Amino acid sequence: MQSTVTSIIEDLSSVIFGKKEQIKLALTCLFSQGHLLIEDLPGMGKTTLSHALSAVLGLTYQRVQFTSDLLPADIIGTNVFNSSEHSFTFHKGPIFSQVVLADEINRAGPKTQSALLEAMEEQQVTVDGKKYSLPDPFFVIATQNPLYQSGTYPLPESQLDRFLMRISLGFPPKEAEKRLILDMQKRDYSQLPQRINQQELAQIQAQISDLTLSSPVVDYIIELVNYTRKSNAFAASLSPRASMALAKAAKAWAYIDGRDFVMPEDVQAIFASVCQHRLGLHNESGDEQVNSILKAVMVPV
Amino acid sequence: MHEIKNEKVINYSMCFIYACLVIFFIAHLPVVFISVLAVICAWNFYLTYNNKPKPNSIFANILAGAALVLMLFSVGMSDTVILFVAMLMLSSLFKLLQAKTKKHYHVITTLTFFSLSSVYLFNQSILTTLTVSGLYILNFAVLGLLESKHNLKIASKQSGKLLLLALPLAIFLLLFLPKMPAFWQLPGPKLAKTGLSEQVDPFDIAKLSNSDELVFRATFNNSAPSAPYYWRAIVHDEFNGNAWLTSDFLKYNNLKSNSKNDFDEQFIASYSVIAEPASQKWLYGLSYSRSDSQNVETNTLGLLRKKNYQAKSLQYDVTSSRFTSTPLTDFENKRYTYLTHKKNVKAASLAKNLKQNTQTDRQFYNQLLQYFVDNKFTYTLTPTPMSGDNTIDQFLFDNKRGFCGHYASAAAYIFRSAGIPARLASGYLGGELNLDNSTLSVRQYDAHAWVEVYIHNEGWVIFDATAVVAPERLNGSLSQNEALNTEFKSNLDFGLVSLSNSPGINWLRLELENLDYQWSSWVLGFDKQKQNDFLKSLFGSRNIWLVPLIVLLTSGICFLAYFVYLNLPKRATKLAPMVKEFYEIQKWAQKHNIKTPDHLTPSQQLQVYMEQSPQSAQSISAFSQLFNQVRYGKKSFTNERKTQAKDLIKLIKTSK
Repeated sequence: MQSTVTSIIEDLSSVIFGKKEQIKLALTCLFSQGHLLIEDLPGMGKTTLSHALSAVLGLTYQRVQFTSDLLPADIIGTNVFNSSEHSFTFHKGPIFSQVVLADEINRAGPKTQSALLEAMEEQQVTVDGKKYSLPDPFFVIATQNPLYQSGTYPLPESQLDRFLMRISLGFPPKEAEKRLILDMQKRDYSQLPQRINQQELAQIQAQISDLTLSSPVVDYIIELVNYTRKSNAFAASLSPRASMALAKAAKAWAYIDGRDFVMPEDVQAIFASVCQHRLGLHNESGDEQVNSILKAVMVPV
Repeated sequence: MHEIKNEKVINYSMCFIYACLVIFFIAHLPVVFISVLAVICAWNFYLTYNNKPKPNSIFANILAGAALVLMLFSVGMSDTVILFVAMLMLSSLFKLLQAKTKKHYHVITTLTFFSLSSVYLFNQSILTTLTVSGLYILNFAVLGLLESKHNLKIASKQSGKLLLLALPLAIFLLLFLPKMPAFWQLPGPKLAKTGLSEQVDPFDIAKLSNSDELVFRATFNNSAPSAPYYWRAIVHDEFNGNAWLTSDFLKYNNLKSNSKNDFDEQFIASYSVIAEPASQKWLYGLSYSRSDSQNVETNTLGLLRKKNYQAKSLQYDVTSSRFTSTPLTDFENKRYTYLTHKKNVKAASLAKNLKQNTQTDRQFYNQLLQYFVDNKFTYTLTPTPMSGDNTIDQFLFDNKRGFCGHYASAAAYIFRSAGIPARLASGYLGGELNLDNSTLSVRQYDAHAWVEVYIHNEGWVIFDATAVVAPERLNGSLSQNEALNTEFKSNLDFGLVSLSNSPGINWLRLELENLDYQWSSWVLGFDKQKQNDFLKSLFGSRNIWLVPLIVLLTSGICFLAYFVYLNLPKRATKLAPMVKEFYEIQKWAQKHNIKTPDHLTPSQQLQVYMEQSPQSAQSISAFSQLFNQVRYGKKSFTNERKTQAKDLIKLIKTSK
């Protein structure tokens, strides 16, 4: 199974150049059954990444472009009157897909945002009192424009919390960009081979949740979380849900790294992406502040 | 600004402690000064009770200055120990009056430990010890309360427990720690005891024997001699017209006794005495006494003295014998018949009459006794004060009522007028036997004065007119004397003795008495000699000097080990597998000056070590792998892995 993971990463790297770290983080998020928030400027490869992910993992894919006039029904679906049968039939919206790319989520109004986030949390939607289950696995990749851009509705903290991770792709290195330009024609994620099927994905997810998490690592997570609670430097402190998210993500990261146990290094690797948005930090200054936490907290032996 | 949780309780406790101390010191400090202390204490209680703010510091300081002046005037500078106690009490109480912050209360509790300990300067009885221990516990509890949110009950329990824990240690130290001579000594407070003084002037005293304070206890080794017991303390050989004094000659010229007249000694009794703390040097013995105990010296008059001033209880062994009948020297003869002031004309003529009617000194002695009987002299504890320069005449021919001092003074005057050598002796008469009839307790109200007359061929003989006037007085203590009981009790301050009518209370009193006796003899009187005997009985007599040395060494080592243990860095009692090994590698790296930032994970640290010490990189890498597997992968730390880790550590250590 390990070789599969390696080849998935290689496949993705062949589409998105020079962003191995982010690819691994995105994969971590997916493996640990969390949702991913990508905050970036337009044209950085957000769509490419999500598309490629679904292709490699063999998942159905839908993209929803969020705009200010988008309504909940536009995502979830709606009951339509069937004149021939004289009854209402439910027309599924784009959310009924294994991978949903919610593009520019902060463009839509709060009501629409909430509808999506509710669906993410419950993995089901309710229309006119009837429940409809969402497919499994269900993975939402939401992209967000940096907040200072005009015409945005920032997500409230409580909803940000629903995303396991927030990453930022960032500009590619020079070499990568050069290759990008040269390979323009060849780049086609639809051509990527499917590496695993759904059963295998479920198997991987089960393996990850069974990974060994030893007490010194748990201690370390608790130390980190407690540090943000004691410190005055952050707008919000980390909740117990955040500590669980840290443990979950660290496990997946360790799995991707080819280990069957978690090390403090795994926690450090995923710490920034799991915690930045929960601490109310922005991408730009966030890295530095998160690193200061890692530097201030001693690793228990 | 109230930063202290239990301020009210703390204030109440401190008020209580100081109220107890004030009550204790009533007998030892001037009344004016004691009332000032009591007022401050009550004031503080009032402020606490009514939740009123404490006086501001300027006002309190002015007040303290005034009180200080008052103290200097009322207490005086003569007795530095009393002055010290007074200052301690005054400063602590004023500090309490001003205390607002935690620091203030810390200072007060610390001072209180000294204040409480200073009680022992005056009294070391078991009751005092118990009371002071109780107050100690309270003070410790207050100290605890300053730092915690517990209530007083819990804190007291805790501090009581601590004190109990210290008890075995105290007993151990008492039993085994070598008794060393003190490096320095307090002069000891001049205790205000009422019993004896170096000057006997009975005629200006209207009230007497009002203290039931213990003076000493005597335990006879074999059988007790028959009563009466005349405990001699001082001999007065000089009459100045009103009072009998101890002449400088006696004071300074008769230090050591020569053991010349040891042959014809007639043994009376041997016994040991525990004398209560007193500031005077004199000690107590029957008849002609000798003592070989440390710190006690014997003089030619058969009197015992302390070698140095020490205000603590003293235990000594005494052998008493009859006075020898060796004739007096001319000089002595002259001394003991000398009278400067001959204003008591009637008394002198009485002496002349008696002398003419008798042939021998013995007859004179008997005649004089008869005279006191025939002329209806009575014994009283409340005599009429007399003044003038013929007080003896007034007593003999007008008043005819008085106590021992009057009779002794008059009789000695008459003897001397008749040319018979006589001197006044003061000390104590009788004593109260305890329940098992072995120990005699002598109290201040047993103080007595009598005459010692030198009769040819008999030696010094006791002449005590009280014996014929109030014969009951000779047997037992004043407290057991029926006839004088009422008078005696009306004179006595309130105390257990004054309640001795009820048999229950009397029994209780005697039991307490016995307990206190055990306390003095086994704890306070546990001196070098007793310790040696004890150690001998425990370890045999050989190499007895080794025992204290070993004890001292072992206890020293124990303490040292305990402190080292206390200062050891705290670690979890049982380290998880591989952690100890990792610490070992860390130590190795420190030794080789490989430094890593604090926040690195163990593997990252090992990585740094690898880079810094390439020779051992391989071993470190293997160690790192092992560490990760065991520590994070929860692989069991088998013996195989243990030896592997050990080998790797060895390799790493030796590679450089």
